[in-house]
Amino acid sequence: MRLKKPIVTLSAGLLFALAACGGGGGSPSPTAQSTLKNISTGGAAGQGQNPNAQAPAPPIPGAKSGGTVTVLSALGITTMDPTDSYYLNTSAILSGLVTRSLTQYQYDPKTKQMILVPDLATDLGTHSPDFKTWSFTLRSGIKFENGQPVTPADIKYGIERSFDRSTFTLGAQYSNQYFLHGDTYKGPYKSGNYDGVTIKGMTITIKMAKPFPDMPYWGAFPAMGPIPPGKASDPASYKNHPLATGPYMFKSYTPGQSLTLVKNPYWAANTDPARHQYVNQWNMNFTTDAAKTDQILGSDTGSGKTTLTIDNILAADYQKFSQQDASRLVIGGQPCTFMWYPDNRQITNVDVRRALAYAYPYQAAWAAAGEIQGVTAVPAWNVMPPGVPGRVQYNPLPGHTPGSTDPAKAKALLTKIGKLNYPIKFGYKTDSPESVAVKNVIEQALKTAGFDPQPVASTTANYSTDIVANPKAPVNVRSVGWCSDWPSGATWLPPEFQSTNISTDGFGSNYEAFSNKSVDSQIQKIQLLPLAQQPAAWNALDKQIMTKYFPVVLTSYGGVALMHGSQVQGFNDDTTNGMPTFKDIWVG
Amino acid sequence: MTIADIDSLGNEPLDPDADLPDEAKKIAGRSPTQIALSRLRGDRLAYVNAGIILFLVLCALLAPLITTYWPWGKLSTAGDFTLVDPLAGNLPAVGPPNHGFILAHPLGVTPNTGIDNMAYLLYGLRTDMFIGLVATVLSMIIGIVLGLMAGFSRGIVDRVITFAIDVFLCFPFLIGAISLAPIITSHYQTNESALTKAQIVSLICILVFFGWMGLARLIRGYVITLREREFIQAAQVIGAPTRRILFKELLPNMAGPIIVSLSLTLPAFIAAEAVLSFLGIGITGSPSIGQIIQNATNYYSSYPLYLYAPVLILLVLVVTLNLLGDSVRDAFDPGTRR
Repeated sequence: MRLKKPIVTLSAGLLFALAACGGGGGSPSPTAQSTLKNISTGGAAGQGQNPNAQAPAPPIPGAKSGGTVTVLSALGITTMDPTDSYYLNTSAILSGLVTRSLTQYQYDPKTKQMILVPDLATDLGTHSPDFKTWSFTLRSGIKFENGQPVTPADIKYGIERSFDRSTFTLGAQYSNQYFLHGDTYKGPYKSGNYDGVTIKGMTITIKMAKPFPDMPYWGAFPAMGPIPPGKASDPASYKNHPLATGPYMFKSYTPGQSLTLVKNPYWAANTDPARHQYVNQWNMNFTTDAAKTDQILGSDTGSGKTTLTIDNILAADYQKFSQQDASRLVIGGQPCTFMWYPDNRQITNVDVRRALAYAYPYQAAWAAAGEIQGVTAVPAWNVMPPGVPGRVQYNPLPGHTPGSTDPAKAKALLTKIGKLNYPIKFGYKTDSPESVAVKNVIEQALKTAGFDPQPVASTTANYSTDIVANPKAPVNVRSVGWCSDWPSGATWLPPEFQSTNISTDGFGSNYEAFSNKSVDSQIQKIQLLPLAQQPAAWNALDKQIMTKYFPVVLTSYGGVALMHGSQVQGFNDDTTNGMPTFKDIWVG
Repeated sequence: MTIADIDSLGNEPLDPDADLPDEAKKIAGRSPTQIALSRLRGDRLAYVNAGIILFLVLCALLAPLITTYWPWGKLSTAGDFTLVDPLAGNLPAVGPPNHGFILAHPLGVTPNTGIDNMAYLLYGLRTDMFIGLVATVLSMIIGIVLGLMAGFSRGIVDRVITFAIDVFLCFPFLIGAISLAPIITSHYQTNESALTKAQIVSLICILVFFGWMGLARLIRGYVITLREREFIQAAQVIGAPTRRILFKELLPNMAGPIIVSLSLTLPAFIAAEAVLSFLGIGITGSPSIGQIIQNATNYYSSYPLYLYAPVLILLVLVVTLNLLGDSVRDAFDPGTRR
């Protein structure tokens, strides 16, 4: 999934976060090291699915109706067409408040994790043993905001739209990748009717081209929801007013800038297992300066009491807020791992890659990038971040504490294998002050550790295409982040470690060019395991890959530090995307 | 000029007889520039301003020496992560805002990177003054040459230059700067050392590009009034070459307006440099005051000194240069005084 800020667009399923690429050196201060935090590993608790969740959603204790909530952001907003919304902010707002889809997430206050529950479907779908046919039975009595009933044909049309990559360039590509004829069917506007989806009564059946055990997760995207066929959903105008099926509908929307949502009278609580409709109105502004937002939330007066932000607070304000207003500061995880990807075609010696992990200036690089240590940048252990089912924390490099820098060990290791002054070529962005600062830190740290750092200058606009995604770039280390689209190992290990045909397809998201036949076959095997066994199997493979081959240097997990006013209640971190749990918010 | 000057001028006719011829001869022998300088010498405000500016110039010129030989430790612009406290939102672990002042970092260090603020400020001052000075001199030269040409050559050349002046004056500076800046620097984005130079060159070009018209128009006006005067006509009659008339006859008569324009353009350019750097289209590779201010704006409440120090220095520099410019203008052109 994509990060909030629409800077870089990428291939399917991931978000290129601007993982840091370099910063100012020096050794971390003792105070910093002793208090490194580790975010909770609650994801290991269970599968995170509840097919039996019943509508209506259980009421939140003490919740009151009424009030207006203001949402502030500085990052703008892209399209609001459900088919095209793949940035964290647009999909969180649409799924949380406006549009319903086959499945959805519900916040579980006990485990503080998100649980996949049914939405328009009555359960999480039934599948054929080979995961190549999925059936969903739809609830009856669902209506659009204009009173028209939602029919299975509307859902089918929504699915058909999700194939259209030329009209909906930002949307996720899972339909194309997994559904029958996904590579040739171009959506209803070009290819007409799609024969992969069949309707029988209230049941729709989707045929796949290859096994897709994670279909219920893809069903939670706004793109997998009902969209009225024909003129009503003309892509040119539908993005400015998608028809609501959820508890709130668009009242006014200035594209990219502001959005007002009011109650949708045709939403019925007894059809929805997770959403609530406590708040009267939502006023959202996406062009508010970050410093101003922090000021409004910090002073907490007037309408500031019912204001919340979907951006991280500034590092500059973190100390003040965490001391004075800790109860209003929501700190949580985001399903992102930032990595340094050594090019395994060039850096073939596993010990050089291990030495890199010792040498990398984790804390200094976070600071130079303006990250808040332990909050928006958390030391990374497994490849899979906390929140992924089945994750059991392990240390990929015994003898190294994640998040700490040990130049002496790096140097000793390099000396031992006779690779002292090994050249490390990495890209950075000359037009980004943070990137330059991070570059300086990394350069200094690598020098201290016995490497020969050679930064390669690029720009924000060209970095992704010229350096990261270009297999022939003059670098041997690439720096990117990966965020999962749903909490499953299947969105982590296959994209990161499965061999790709680099000459024809590029890296995909295997930026380290890792290629190992045994790992490939294990990935294929796990994908066909029963769902219940998959989480543990993914975690075991994660551990095996990292301890045996050490193909990547894990630099940090993402995290969020969100702030809300004192009257905003029910605000928690949605760990599937690092956004507020919009469905549960009320004013008290 | 001061009241004392007016008094002394007014007193002259009352002077005793014996000294009168000497005084009269002395005054008659002085050039307009000398008269202006003598007026300036009596201006106490000008002395104060000149002193402050001299101090800032020395600070900028001696930045490498000051930072290297600072008695309490070397001041470095390289950054030191150990000076940053990651648990305090990356605010400095030493000095303000959370700890007492220390002499090793008299203005504190930057959040996130731990760069010494004073070292960065001194080098920033250096960059700003260098760019301001070079841009001022270049735009002076262009303005003077084009102004002389336009004023002295009647006809098509005058009309073309006047038209160009009008076009450039109409062009909105900020839009022009924002659109022109990337043109030069974009070629060097992938070469770090060349990029820093390219940014400085591009910034100077932009400032000159939009800074020469005022003086050109002023000079043209002066030339038009002077070229009909007898001494010019005499020079033309005796066959002096145009070059000589322009640079030896006309130019010295315009020393006043040129110096006044120079003293007011310099602070304007320094301020413009800071604005452009603040907007992110100026210098990024080397320190500059605008860049510090841009970085510091998010810290206005949590680390005010980080923002106030560069703002104050910039304010002092621009205000004193302006006041000195006013004094120079008053000295050369007392008629504008009230």
